[in-house]
Amino acid sequence: MTDSDEEESVFSVAASNTQNDDASRVQNGGASSVRVGAADELASVWYSLPVELWAYRHLLASLTVRELRIRYKQSLLGVGWAVCVPLSMMLIFTFVFTRAIKVAPEMRIEMPYALFAYVGLVPWTFFAAGLNGSVNSLVANRNLVTKVYFPREVLPLSAIGAAFADFCVAGSVVVGLIAYFHVFGDWSFSPNATVLFIPVIVAVQTAFMIGLGMLLAMANLFYRDVRQVFAVVIQLWMFATSVVYPIRDDGSWVGRVVAMNPMTPIIGAYRACLIHGQLPEMWGFGYATVVSLIVLVLGWSCFHRAGFKFAERI
Amino acid sequence: MSDGLLRMEHVSKRFRRGVAHDTMIDLIASGAKRLMGRQRVASENDFWALDDVGFEVRAGEAVGVIGPNGAGKSTALKLIAGIMRPDHGRIETRGRITALIEINAGFHGDLTGRENIYMNGAILGMRRREIDRKFDDIISFSGIADFIDTPVKRYSSGMQARLGFSVAAHVDPDVLLVDEVLGVGDLLFRQRCIQRMRELVDGGVALVFVTHHIELMQAFCTRSVVLDKGRLVHDGDTDRAVSAYMEALKGGVELVPAALSNKPGEVTGCRICSAGGKEMLVGKPGDPLEVEVTFELSQPVQRLSIELDVRRDLAAQVATFNSVHQGITFDASSGANSVTLSLPELPLAGGQYFWQVVLQDADTSKVVAISGYQYSYVIEDGGRSTGLLSLPHEWLHHQGACDPPSAVLAGVT
Repeated sequence: MTDSDEEESVFSVAASNTQNDDASRVQNGGASSVRVGAADELASVWYSLPVELWAYRHLLASLTVRELRIRYKQSLLGVGWAVCVPLSMMLIFTFVFTRAIKVAPEMRIEMPYALFAYVGLVPWTFFAAGLNGSVNSLVANRNLVTKVYFPREVLPLSAIGAAFADFCVAGSVVVGLIAYFHVFGDWSFSPNATVLFIPVIVAVQTAFMIGLGMLLAMANLFYRDVRQVFAVVIQLWMFATSVVYPIRDDGSWVGRVVAMNPMTPIIGAYRACLIHGQLPEMWGFGYATVVSLIVLVLGWSCFHRAGFKFAERI
Repeated sequence: MSDGLLRMEHVSKRFRRGVAHDTMIDLIASGAKRLMGRQRVASENDFWALDDVGFEVRAGEAVGVIGPNGAGKSTALKLIAGIMRPDHGRIETRGRITALIEINAGFHGDLTGRENIYMNGAILGMRRREIDRKFDDIISFSGIADFIDTPVKRYSSGMQARLGFSVAAHVDPDVLLVDEVLGVGDLLFRQRCIQRMRELVDGGVALVFVTHHIELMQAFCTRSVVLDKGRLVHDGDTDRAVSAYMEALKGGVELVPAALSNKPGEVTGCRICSAGGKEMLVGKPGDPLEVEVTFELSQPVQRLSIELDVRRDLAAQVATFNSVHQGITFDASSGANSVTLSLPELPLAGGQYFWQVVLQDADTSKVVAISGYQYSYVIEDGGRSTGLLSLPHEWLHHQGACDPPSAVLAGVT
């Protein structure tokens, strides 16, 4: 190996453990890796990351499937829980807002309240469950972190992946709800091509979750307090988001703080595209997109840079 | 780079003693220091788990890593595997690295054996298709085909170990790191694992093997590295590595439990020497030996008996030499004494033997001093003998059929 080759391989930490199919296992010039002390180059992160993650896509898939399998093993309802949780939440909030305290008519939501709540609760459940899984992902898999090498990103990503699978199952029930209210309610639904925009919204939300999830997972590894704080904050966050009621900027300082929450435009965008047949409100959704991307880049690069410390600090 | 698949150069790793995390107050204090522009200095709580260690492993080479507990063996493996990063130095590896630091790291009790095979395979870097192809081999290697669809939580620990090793044994790595994982599983399975590792090495894998099992290492590794308190003290052939290891063990402080040492006397030494009186830590089977015991007494004992006990790997008692059984006692004065036991030969098989000295008052049968099994002696014969004994023997070969029944009949009539 020449000097320049060696120089280059210094920046290919990612290549460690890449899988060369055993059939083509090469003795010379196979995947090589150099780990050096102290030096920790940020420049290499964005080059090495995709390579390494691609090499470990099978592990990511396996961990996601494991997450789901474990969750629904030895349970009667199994994957039905993915639907039952947001559905029962919907029933509770519908009861509270339309029967107990009759405020739903004043919300000016232009759709049945139950539908409004469900379309908010499903992405919110994805958000809360995915982050909750991420927070614990490193600590819960301590055995893997301390005994096996793989890119640590895989752990929070698989937690979000498992929450995403639940999201898809719960989301499909929306079709049934729309049909129900179209047929039995005094509300009519007209399908619109804006539904095709939903994958973009999902992508923005997922980017936000990945960035935030990595920051939380890392923080919880160093200080277990994070998990406790998160449990409280996520409750508060739900009520600061237009999940079960609409939030409109009323000009007060509280309103302005709440308006900075990128989850409100994201959940609003689902309702706009799916129910109202409109594209998301540009400024709000554009703001959410920018925030999500910043959080993604920030969270992922912090996580990647700190990754080598996880095994000794966990 | 030469054909070394693994190379460590001047690798150092620092750890902190005590709680590894800061409390809020520590954080504020260190934050304030950093604000004032002071770096965190290495505190007295830091210690070097590895200190300037370097070695290389080539394709088809099996290198043993030995050393007392806390010598840095596992840290070295974790650095090679990429689980941790060195503070100084550099580690180069080529190809797929498989680290068997804990076989069952990826196992989840609620999943079945089959699901866990896929899970563990993915953790070790295998693709789904690759696992599909090797699945039958993995199951037949593990020998637990009947339970493959049972959740692993219902497995015995031996079965779990079998399954874990079976997956790992089929990874086809370029560099294989094994950390003392063969302790579980029954003898047959262990032999199968060793055979499999041998096959991998013969096929060009670079193996790094951490163990306390000296015989296994002698039989398996052509070269060995000895670590002691984070430093590399030997890198070379295994026989000499074993004596370097024994030296390192001697250097460590072995604490004898207080209840044992609270006696009117104290064993101050037990030197195992060649017939010429030179101290030996490693010898050959059948070598003549002199065992020189030194002890101190606080008061004279008129009829003192000495017993020397020999154990193999702290497990099987191999021999006992007790002077009183031969009617021999010593008239020991207070202060320092020494007694030498002379053995014309010690026909033990290759392995590590631990010695204990017991001094007794022959009249009252009271124990005057007991050393505990802190003295060690290794018999090295290049892996030729196994078991406990290395007995003198010869082989005879006869052309044509031998006639054993007549010999038996001769005995009867």
